[in-house]
Order: sequence, then C-alpha cells, then structure tokens
Amino acid sequence: MLDKIRYFILRALRNMRQWPFLCTASILTMAIALATVATFFLVVVNIEQLALRWTQEIQVIAYLNKVPSQNNVAKLKDQLSRISGVETVIYVSQKEALERFKKRLGEDASLLEGVKRDLLPASFELGLFSEYRNQQQIATVIEHLENILDVDDLRYGQKWLERFNDFAKILRFIGIVLGGFLLFAALFIVSNTIKLTLYARRDELEIMALVGATMRFIKIPFMLEGAIQGLLGGLLSLLFLTIFFVFVISRSLTSFWLTPNSFDLLFLTMNQQITLVLSGVVLGVLGSLSSLRRFVRF
Amino acid sequence: MIQLYNVTKKYGGDSTAIKDVTLQISKGEFVYINGASGAGKTTLLRMLYSAEKPTRGQILIDRQNISRIRSRQIPYLRRKIGVVFQDFKLLQSRTVYENVAFALEAQGKKRYEVSKKVYQALKEVGLEHRLQRKPLELSGGEQQRIAIARALVVDPLILLADEPSGNLDQDVTLEIMNLFKQANARGTTVLLATHDHSLNKRFPRRIITLDQGRLIGDQQPLQA
Repeated sequence: MLDKIRYFILRALRNMRQWPFLCTASILTMAIALATVATFFLVVVNIEQLALRWTQEIQVIAYLNKVPSQNNVAKLKDQLSRISGVETVIYVSQKEALERFKKRLGEDASLLEGVKRDLLPASFELGLFSEYRNQQQIATVIEHLENILDVDDLRYGQKWLERFNDFAKILRFIGIVLGGFLLFAALFIVSNTIKLTLYARRDELEIMALVGATMRFIKIPFMLEGAIQGLLGGLLSLLFLTIFFVFVISRSLTSFWLTPNSFDLLFLTMNQQITLVLSGVVLGVLGSLSSLRRFVRF
Repeated sequence: MIQLYNVTKKYGGDSTAIKDVTLQISKGEFVYINGASGAGKTTLLRMLYSAEKPTRGQILIDRQNISRIRSRQIPYLRRKIGVVFQDFKLLQSRTVYENVAFALEAQGKKRYEVSKKVYQALKEVGLEHRLQRKPLELSGGEQQRIAIARALVVDPLILLADEPSGNLDQDVTLEIMNLFKQANARGTTVLLATHDHSLNKRFPRRIITLDQGRLIGDQQPLQA
C-alpha cells in the first residue's frame, strides 16, 4: 500500500517535471482565477462591513433655531430621551460646535480666528437603538422631535445609506455571479490545460492501458497531479491576493471611501484562506477528472 | 488457448475488416498470420487484446469469452497477453529500465520484484547493459528488443506481435525471431502477424492466411 502511494506520488511529480511549461500554465491559471474571485469577495465583504459601520454611526442631528437656556437644555434632554428609539442624547452648544470644527480643520484652524462664537448653531445629537436605524423608524422619531424642539435643520444619513446598502447588495450579487463565472472559466481552462498535458502523454496512456494497468492505476497519478497543481495554485493565489490587498485594495479603499480612522480592512480569515487553497485542490482534481474521461478509454 | 467462432468485425457501415473467421489455436503454438496489408491481421490481433470488440461471433481466450467483456475486466485480460508492435511503442522520455518496469508497475508488483524481473527480462534480450539509456539512443533492433522484454517480463500466456520486424533489417529480424522462439519454447503461445513470407521459410510454423478479412488458408508446417 505504502509502496503504491509512494509510486503514485513519484509518478505525479515526475509527470510535472516532464512538462514544466504546461504544469506552470495550469498552476498560474488556477492562481489567477482564484485570486480574482477572492479579490471580489474581499471588496464586497469590506464594503458591506463599511456599510455596517456607518449604520452603527447613524444618528439624528437637530440644529436649533434658538439657543436654549441652560435650564431648558436639561429639560429638553429629558424629553428627547423619552422618545422611543432614542438611546443617547447629546447637547452640542455653539461653543462646542466651534471647538469641534476647529479640531476638524487641524492646521487650518487659523481660518476661524476672528470669527464670532455664535457662528455655528447649537444642536442635539440623538443616538438611536439599532432596530430604529431605518427610514420608517427615523421618521417617527423625527415627528416626535419636531414637537419638542424648534428645529432649523435636520441631518440623518439615512437615505443615502440605504442607497449605499442597496449598492452593496448589488455588488454582492454581481460578485457571486461573476465569481461563479470565473470559477467555471477557471475549471474549463484548467481542464483544457490538463487535456493538453494528457494529449502530450497519450502514448503513455495507451501503453499503460496496453500492459494491463487498471483505470484507477492510470487515473490516480493524474488526479494527484491535478491536486498538487491545485494546491500550488491555491497557495499562489493567496500570495497574489495578499500582495494585491496590501498594495491596491487597502490603499484605494482607505483613500476613496473616507473610512473612519478606526476602520480596519478585513482580509480573509484563516478558514477562508484554507477554503481558498482547498478550492484550488478541488479545481485541480475536477479539472483532471473531466479531461481524463475523454482520454482514458478501454 | 484462443478460439474464434464466426467472428466478424465491421467498422462503420460497409467496411468489413474481418468476415466470419473461425479458428482455434492451442496452448504453446506458434502461428503466423499472413496476408497483404489491409487483410485484417491487425484487426484480428486488436480483437484478441480487446482493443476492439467483434461485431458478431465469439472470442475465447484462456476459456474466457471476451466478445462482450466489461471494460473493467480488460486490464486483467491484458495481463495475460504481451503485445509487440512494428513501431515499438516505447516511452521516449523513460529509460530502458523504466520502459520495461512500466508493465510490472502497472500490475501493481512490488519494487524488489520489479527490479529483479526487469533485469532478467533485459538479460534475455541481451540489453542488460543498456538499463539507463533512453530508447532513442538505441538502434531500431535494440528498441524492438526492449519492447519484447516489456511484453515478456509479465510472463504472458500469449504473445501477440504485429509486424514486429517491419522496420528492421534481415539480421535484426533473425535475432527478434529467435527471441519469439525462445518465448514459445518456454510455453508462451505466439501469434505473429506479418506479410513477410521469408520468415516462414526459415522458421516453418503453422500459417493462417487472411485475405480481405476472410480466412483463406490454415497450413500446418511440412514436417521435415
């Protein structure tokens, strides 16, 4: 048994060494296909993650027409926090608003020198419970809120966020469809590459069949070869993906999407990495099986 | 050992390669299959090692009916049969040793057994000193001897040879014929397809003659 396994592995390795070009071609094909699918996956996952983060940060900001008196603030705060769905209430005075703005400007804060302290309006910031962070619930919250406060302007990033969520959903759908196509294409290419190697070795297959090798005996080394190539392809795709992630995805996402500072881009988890490599192996085995069927016949 | 009953082989619609052939070959016989090219010699041999199935009729080998053999059984049938071709069918990328060992490995033999038998088989054909050469570095005659060693290394019941000397000159042909005779002397049934009548003159044996797929002659050798 051990003797056989050893023989099969040696055969598979020798076959690969004998046709280095074809072997490299199928490994690269698999690596690129898998890396492309995984890249799509990463982009979708990260955008979804971002959407989730933004949803968490949803709040209703009510800018006030008149600055309420100190006493009134406490009373209003109390009333606001009793609206169902409101989790936190923060009062931002005109002074605080200016401070924040200054901080936001950073080095350019000098622009604000000489500006009146009441440039910015005072506001209430209402944090919502997560189940209230959608269009309908926010509408009712706002209805209540308008009864309490004399509101100049309301801000809540709801509409565009829902649109963003829709966009992420579409992106995910495209990702699944495209990924499916890509995997299918990869399977096709891999199977064709293996077919080429089999074609180059058809004499060998013929002679094997002639000297009484069983189907299994002929097939196993080729399947093993497919598996090894798949494994290498999978590992290589992981390398491609890492490089691509570090140098392209993370840079473009962080600069494009104005991500919050604390937002860490997600890479594949350990399990997903293993899945990626294993799908390479499966791809390789399926590829060689499908093309072997056409070549080895008695 | 080999029995054919009313065997017919048709390819496609009209072309008939073998027509209604019935014959028996006993164990240990040495038989020539004569006939011009296209007479059906190769088709007959191919049916014997089950590369083709007869369209009609029955073929028995070693009492096993192979006319409707299942593909899973074919490898086991072929282990009883050594085949030698005009074009040798050696693996050019493998050494002489590997080419012969191939037949044993394919049958799942143990490694120490393989190396022993391969050496023996190569010694019988006189090529034990060429173990590590590649086939293309050798002459045609030597290549054919490797092919014969590969066919014989598995101790087949039957040796089939399809124009084995077709590409070789006279002297080499004699060497090859001697190898077949030796194998035959050890009990292997030998079937040799050839259009070369001179072989028969040197080594008179039973001759089966085919013409356009029909069996038109079955002569026993004249006793000297």
